[in-house]
Amino acid sequence: MIKNYFKIALRNLFKNKGYTLINVGGLSLGMAIVLLIGLWVHDELTFNKNHDNYDNISQVMMWRTRNGKKAIRYAMPYPLGDELREKYGEDFKHVVMSSFHGDNILSFKDKNLSLRSSFMESGALSMFSLDMIYGNWDGLNNPNSIVLSETVSKAFFGTENPLGKTMKVNNELNVLITGVYRDIADNATLKGLDFIVPWELYSMLYPWVKAAKDNNLWGNNSYQLYVQIADGSTMASVNGRIKDVIYNNVSEYGRKSQPELVLHPMKNWHLRSNWKNGVNAGGFIQYVWLFGTIGLFVLLLACINFMNLSTAQSEKRAKEVGIRKTVGSSKYQLINQFLSESFLVVLVAFTVAIIMVFIVIPWFNQLADKQIVFPFKSVTFWVVSIAFVLFTSILAGSYPALYLSSFRPVKVLKGTFKTGKSTTSFRKALVVVQFTVSVILVIGTIVVEKQVDYSKNRPIGYNMNSLIMIEKTTNNFDNKYNVIRNELINSGAVVEMAESSSPLTDVWSTNSGFEWKGKSPDFITNIATVCTSHDYGKTVGWNLIEGRDFSRTFATDSTAFILNETAVKYMGLKDPVGKTIRWNNEEHQVIGVVKDILAVSPFEPVLQTVYMINYPNTNWIELKLNPERSITSSLSAVETILSKHVPNVPFDYQFVDNTFAEKFEAVERIRKLSTIFAIFAIFISCLGLFGLASFIAEQRTKEIGIRKVVGASVFNLWKLLSKDFVKLAVLAIIVATPLAYYGVTKWLNNYTYQTEVSWWIFLIAGIGAIGITLLTVSFQAIKAAVTNPIKSLRTE
Amino acid sequence: MILQLKNIFKWVNSGGNRVFLLNDIDFTVNEGEFISIMGPSGSGKTTLLNVIGMLDGFNEGEYTFLDESVHDLKEKHRARLYKEYIGFVFQAYHLIDELTVYENIETPLLYKKHSSSERKAMVADMLDRFNIVGKKDLFPSQLSGGQQQLVGIARALVSSPKLILADEPTGNLNSAQGEEIMQLFKKLNDEGVTIIQVTHSEKNAAYGSRTIHLKDGLIVNN
Repeated sequence: MIKNYFKIALRNLFKNKGYTLINVGGLSLGMAIVLLIGLWVHDELTFNKNHDNYDNISQVMMWRTRNGKKAIRYAMPYPLGDELREKYGEDFKHVVMSSFHGDNILSFKDKNLSLRSSFMESGALSMFSLDMIYGNWDGLNNPNSIVLSETVSKAFFGTENPLGKTMKVNNELNVLITGVYRDIADNATLKGLDFIVPWELYSMLYPWVKAAKDNNLWGNNSYQLYVQIADGSTMASVNGRIKDVIYNNVSEYGRKSQPELVLHPMKNWHLRSNWKNGVNAGGFIQYVWLFGTIGLFVLLLACINFMNLSTAQSEKRAKEVGIRKTVGSSKYQLINQFLSESFLVVLVAFTVAIIMVFIVIPWFNQLADKQIVFPFKSVTFWVVSIAFVLFTSILAGSYPALYLSSFRPVKVLKGTFKTGKSTTSFRKALVVVQFTVSVILVIGTIVVEKQVDYSKNRPIGYNMNSLIMIEKTTNNFDNKYNVIRNELINSGAVVEMAESSSPLTDVWSTNSGFEWKGKSPDFITNIATVCTSHDYGKTVGWNLIEGRDFSRTFATDSTAFILNETAVKYMGLKDPVGKTIRWNNEEHQVIGVVKDILAVSPFEPVLQTVYMINYPNTNWIELKLNPERSITSSLSAVETILSKHVPNVPFDYQFVDNTFAEKFEAVERIRKLSTIFAIFAIFISCLGLFGLASFIAEQRTKEIGIRKVVGASVFNLWKLLSKDFVKLAVLAIIVATPLAYYGVTKWLNNYTYQTEVSWWIFLIAGIGAIGITLLTVSFQAIKAAVTNPIKSLRTE
Repeated sequence: MILQLKNIFKWVNSGGNRVFLLNDIDFTVNEGEFISIMGPSGSGKTTLLNVIGMLDGFNEGEYTFLDESVHDLKEKHRARLYKEYIGFVFQAYHLIDELTVYENIETPLLYKKHSSSERKAMVADMLDRFNIVGKKDLFPSQLSGGQQQLVGIARALVSSPKLILADEPTGNLNSAQGEEIMQLFKKLNDEGVTIIQVTHSEKNAAYGSRTIHLKDGLIVNN
């Protein structure tokens, strides 16, 4: 029986090649998109799941309340780790203090590499369940040890077992290799961590860390803290017990900002990293939902096509249904037959979809910044796939099956059978749904595009042309500023050089405790502080709007402040130049005001910022390359000079404009993905529209013939046939507009700097939808209109 | 007695008037009969045939088929009855275009759950009997009208029904082909198959053992 069904299904598919192509093509395109989105969503949802203790690991974070606003902080004070271990020991299996991950120089013999790394307490290896190739989870117990990732081990030692060899960190400390772990999965927060060294080394390398350690500084927040809660404990109960630990240990002044600890479970690290008004406010998870929904809609569009085309063919199949019923088929058997037909089509489409996905996956990975591998070997994948095929067959096939199988033989065999108005209106409703989805996607895409443009066109406040940054990873750079600067400028490769505590594209520290005349005593300050050399302004090309730049001719400039515009507003200063600000028990005179420099997020307001001279406290070198020389020659000149003064330090530089552009990567990715999905959704909808138009043209052949005989022109007929479809498109636009408006407004609320949702966006989407409708329908309409009426009337 | 119709009425309402399609039909068919139904266009011949074949319902009256009261039966049981005992032959042959001759004949057997080897034997028997073995792999569009109707009859007969209902079986055929089909019906009737045919032609009606004349839904002579 099944064999018979498939046989007739296949013969039907071959007989109506056009329909089959639209049907299978549209469906496989839809399924391919769903598969890709499915793989992507799976990748997002399994982020960090490579860690065995996924459910119990948490990062310790802190709320601070200033002037009524709650803000989340990742940085913790040095003594917090020991405090939790000693006083709340039974709540935790592991308490791991860690530095923020950054680049450090690792050397073996003549080879120096700048690598992403972290200082961590010894429980890290077992807490994160790293997969050790050599050594074991005790690898960090000895303070002078190091564990490497497999990639780094291979880079230095090839396939050799490196255990027991001695390496050098930041050209200062000798460490013994005690372990090698398999590279951390790509979809993990710790991705790309090249080596881990023991926490104890941190304070040995950096005096400011040693100070925090020796003086038990609760007020300096510069470290991360990871914990694994004890088996049997819950995050909530542990969180409740520890929330006031900071408050209880900080000074009276520190208590003003009401520090409150909060646990951030690993399962939220990637997908829910936004915080607002004292609660976790989601984050990337919204895109998982968004794209998941889009995937379902695309599948729905493809299924609607399938339903539409199958019912459109119903007149052709009606006779068969009648015959089968008279020779003994039951309705149930016919339903089965049509369902197996749709199953067959879906199965073919799925096979095509798999091939498509397989082909585009490298390109998709690049687009989405993923390392997704097609899961050929995963049993779960195939089980889910079978369920997916069955689901789609039923979704797409049940309506046609029920509809076709309900034909009464007496009617259909008489040969006067015509599908009723009701089924046509059902099909029209389906087309409206398709167009609504497409219009929403188009509007969404335009808004994302506009938002990207808007944020890209914000003034950045400095000149990033030929500007490079170099991180000073070791203290080999100390006290060499003037020597290096002179030599670089004399070489002609560099126009100007400066140093700063934060890179140009970020703010590394904010401080409180600023006082000035006219400040309300209740106002708790929090201001970004950037320490620089005298030449910073000249190098980055900032825009002074009042006062003057730092200058070596004024000795008093060592304590002077330059404010950005936002800081002036934040402090409420009138005529800021010449005003005095008290901070850290010192008087600082404001000598200038600069235009805001956009450092952190192009979607958020610029932080109130104070610039001051402080040479020892700088971490970055900024170089303005000579625009008259080629970049390559300038870079190699810089490298030669640097390697002379700081040997054994890899020349690791970044162009400021590139680093700045990275800030748009996430939103650019969203833009690209939504554009692609919108294009495919429109395409699939057009396929459906094309099918329906051809069907309706066919159904009205006789009417068209008669009209022609009585004198209608081709244009009259084109208008007649297109009018109905334009009505559908207009209806879809009316439905889509408020939905899209709601959606994009909600999305834009993620950003403080948001573009306007202008009326012309809806106009463009609307005109586009109508234009595409006319284009798709016209082909069929004109074809029907130019047919010789004798031919069409003979069909009766 | 195979079936009996008693005071059967069937009507449609058209613009407030009741138009009778079948008007007080009384009619008995015995086993082995070959009945021809005649009448002008619109006299209700096909409607009567459809009512007998249970493809169509009626508004009033009693219909007994093999001792079962069809008017009391639910749709499902009716369908079971006609599938079991009735074979249909149509003027337009109504073969499934996408199936070969062999597969068309086989289709009724698929719905009766015969095993594959049984089906093979039964279809082969039909092909043999109608001399169309050589055509078994052809599609309907590759056959002449007469050959298509042969296949249609073979399909109606393959599951050995008690009654064959034929609606103008020669209507689309030329006279030679029509003659051939009527000969075949005659032969089948001689072998014991009960046949009711609707026809326009006196000549074809003459093959039957009895003729019923219909006019405006009424039996005018019996």
